Formats: sequence, structure tokens, C-alpha cells
Amino acid sequence: MDVSELRKNAKVQLDGQPYVVVEFLFVKPGKGQGLYKCKLKNMITGAVLDRTWRSGEKFDPANVESRKMQYLFKDQNGFTFMDNESYEQVALADEIVGDDAAFLLDQISVDVLFYNDRPVGVTLPSHIVMTITECEPGVKGDTATNATKNAVVETGHKIQVPLFIREGDKVKIDTRTGAYVERINT
Amino acid sequence: MAAELGGLAWPARVQIWDAALAAVRGYFRDQGLREVSTPVRVPAVAVEPFIDPIAAPPGLLATSPELAMKRLLVRGSGPIFQIAHVFRRAEVGERHSEEFHLVEWYRLGADLDPLLADVEALVSRVFAATGSNGHVPKTWQRARFLEAVTATCGARLRGDEGPERLIAALPPALAAEAARALAATGEPDSPARTLLAWTAFFTAWSDMFLEPWLKGHEGTHLIDFPAPLAALAVTDPARPWLARRAECHVGGLEIANGYVELRDADEQRRRFATVNELRRVHRSPALPIDEDFLAELPGLPPCAGIALGLDRLIALAACRTRLADVSLALAGG
Repeated sequence: MDVSELRKNAKVQLDGQPYVVVEFLFVKPGKGQGLYKCKLKNMITGAVLDRTWRSGEKFDPANVESRKMQYLFKDQNGFTFMDNESYEQVALADEIVGDDAAFLLDQISVDVLFYNDRPVGVTLPSHIVMTITECEPGVKGDTATNATKNAVVETGHKIQVPLFIREGDKVKIDTRTGAYVERINT
Repeated sequence: MAAELGGLAWPARVQIWDAALAAVRGYFRDQGLREVSTPVRVPAVAVEPFIDPIAAPPGLLATSPELAMKRLLVRGSGPIFQIAHVFRRAEVGERHSEEFHLVEWYRLGADLDPLLADVEALVSRVFAATGSNGHVPKTWQRARFLEAVTATCGARLRGDEGPERLIAALPPALAAEAARALAATGEPDSPARTLLAWTAFFTAWSDMFLEPWLKGHEGTHLIDFPAPLAALAVTDPARPWLARRAECHVGGLEIANGYVELRDADEQRRRFATVNELRRVHRSPALPIDEDFLAELPGLPPCAGIALGLDRLIALAACRTRLADVSLALAGG
């Protein structure tokens, strides 16, 4: 695949191992080549390495199989997901789910990734809608500043939101950055 | 100056764009330039090694308004400016967006100095108009390309090096990377290979040495580029290994790129062909040559032109490092 397809969370095959892009930076000096600076995490060993690609280069997508599954529950075995067609269930350890746990709403549909039939990761939808369960009261009329306040969503994930957001509001969140995107009017 | 400041609230975004757009227009009106607006969909764009247009059948979305504005200059427009919407495929990052705004302007006379003075004046006008509490660059240095190379990484280059000597002059880590980029290119000493060598060198040097060095200065005009990196600029008649091209930086952020404009259609055609040869090696599609532009180019009056990234300037004025923090594009689409 062309390097312009690289993004945070892209899965890359490197030296016979599957990696996930955990940090991604695109820079392009002047009229030079684009540089795709990636921090990669080995999806099996968890080892992290840096790799920079230049525009015009290719990369191999990771040799992983993706299956649509639904999140069911968390217990001492980790996070359990169910295949929507076969009803087969798999448990993913906490360290495989990692920071994505903050976005696992009940029943949410995700892609679970398998490498040689072993679950190695999940891919969330890029944006999800969650309900604000806790936040400080809004400040009326204060829309001209860029001030934000702390808030908590239903999974317990903490985010920064604009001052006009209230408890019970539904907000769109970018799962790649964990950041607030916009309020959803219902 | 910190990314964690986050995005501006919507009313503040609208306010800052309104102030900046008015400041740009006010400045050029005061200077006697006329505002133009050329088509966004064009038959062909300037042929660049690593700038890819987005298709808009039967044409392309403009990657810059350069060719269209030059054809107006040929028709006697006199000095002109434009605030243009431009598009560059797959340029997505904190400081890049596939769609952005270029302020592009041309003055008659083959001299870069008035354009660099314009950049300095525009930066302070936009900072003032937007009520920025950021740091306005007060001192601007001129740095010659080859001297900046020596100052930052010790390599001494003449400017007319072939690819091998160029790469040998680099520190080992950089040399390996540049050599990797070169390996795919065919014919030794072909113009395409020389262009790729210089582009690979510039990319690696800029990322590892130039940008950190620029951060230690307020404003910098990088001038006297090596001739292989001339793009659409003339080469210096007295020193033909150098191009009369300038890049303007505020801290480590590039905001503008200007040329004393090439008016030799044969030379321009050769350069476009060289770039297309490089693109072929890189398996990027060759770009169509704008024959109407080349046919009219000999009629271009002596002039110099420059393009400034307005989104970046507004982000600077807002003390933000990400274009998304000030953009009027609706997020999360």
C-alpha cells in the first residue's frame, strides 16, 4: 500500500511481524518529500520502535484478519467480544485492548484483529457518540473564549469539553485522539 | 505556544478569520495590488515532484493559483494578489491539510526583496489585526541555503554537486536515508536523479537540522537555493548554480515560498519533463503539461511572485500549532 494510507492505528507488516501505528506525524519540508513518522507497537510482543517512511514508498499491511464483533462484558479474563454470525466468544487481555477500553460502550460493534487465529487487537469506529455523566455547570453566554472544562462520559473516560456542555448531553468523540468533536443535538 | 491549548471556540475562529482576511486585503490595497480570483478547477497544475493534485474531471483542483495568475500578468494585469483555495492530495497532518488557503501575489520587476518585505509586513499586520497575544517576529534574518547547511550540519557544498558527492557530504545516518531514496532512480547524472538527490537531501536536512535551527530565530528568509531546486524560479545569471528562490519561516514553521519568475518556456518545459521523469520512477502518475501556459510564458513581464499559507499564519497568530485548532472546516465529518 502507498505510504499516504498510513494513519494512527494502521496495521503494518514489518520484518515478518504485525505492528500497529501508535503515534503518527506527517511532515513535509518546503517542496520536499513528505515524511511519515511512525511509532510502531509490535502487536504480539508489545515492543515499540520508530520508523519513518518517505512519500513514494510502499508498506505492507499487517497480515491480520479482521472480524466484526460485539463487546459484551469485562471480567477477570479481560474484555469479552462475540462474533455476530457464529456467536463465538473471545476474551482479550487488558493490555491488548489498552487505551481503547475507554470507548468500549456496551454492545458496541468493533473489528477484532486476529493474527494466526490469536486475537491481537481491536479497531474502533473513528467516531463514537457517548453521554456526559458528570461535568461542572455550564457558564452561560461564555462562547467567545476557547475555555474548556472537565467532563466524564459513561465509560468513565475523562475529556475536555466546551463550557456550554451539560450533564446528559450526547457528544461525538474522536476515538483516535480521545478528544471531543461536537455536541449531538437530539 | 502549545498544542494543548486546543481548538479555538467557533465564534473566536470566525472572528480571527474575518480579521485576518480583512488585514490581508487592506495591506495589498494600500500597496496598489489588484485582487483577482482565478478558477479552482484547472486543466493542469505546476508539475512538482511531491505535490499531487486531486482530480476533478475533466480537470484538476488547483494546487496553487500560480499558472493562472501568470497568464493574467501576460495579459497586462499589473501587480495582483489572490486569496486562493488550493488542494494537495494526501497532505494530512498537524500543519497540513488537503485543502488550505494560499495568499499569492506578484510584483513587477525581477527582485525578491519587495516580496520578502511584504511577508514581514503581512505577518505583523495579521498579528495586530487579530489582537494576537503571540510573539510577533521583529527580527528577520537572511540565510543563504548553502551557508545554512554548513552552519547546521557542517557539510560544505558548492551547489553544483552530483548526487554521490552530495550524499557523501551528509552525516552517516542521513546519508543512508538519502541513498535509500536515490537507489530507485535510474540513469546516473540524469536531471531526474540530480533533482531527486537534492530533494532527498533537502528533505532529510530540513527535518533533522534546519527546522531545529530555525526555531532559534524569529523570522528567517532562506535564499539562494541550489539550481536543481529552482522549480519555477530563474537561476542567478552571475551564479548559475543558484536559484532566485526564497522560503520564509517563522520559528520552525515555513509560511511562504517565492521566486523571481522563470520566463524561458523551453527551460520550463525541460524542468516539467524532468519532474515527470522523477514521478515516473516513483510510480506517481505523470502530470499533464499546461501547453497554453508554456505558449504564453515568453510574454510574462519580468516579475516575482510568492505564496503564503494563510491557515498557518492564522494558527501562529492564535498561538496554536495545529491548523485544525483554527480551521473553519466542520470537524468529524
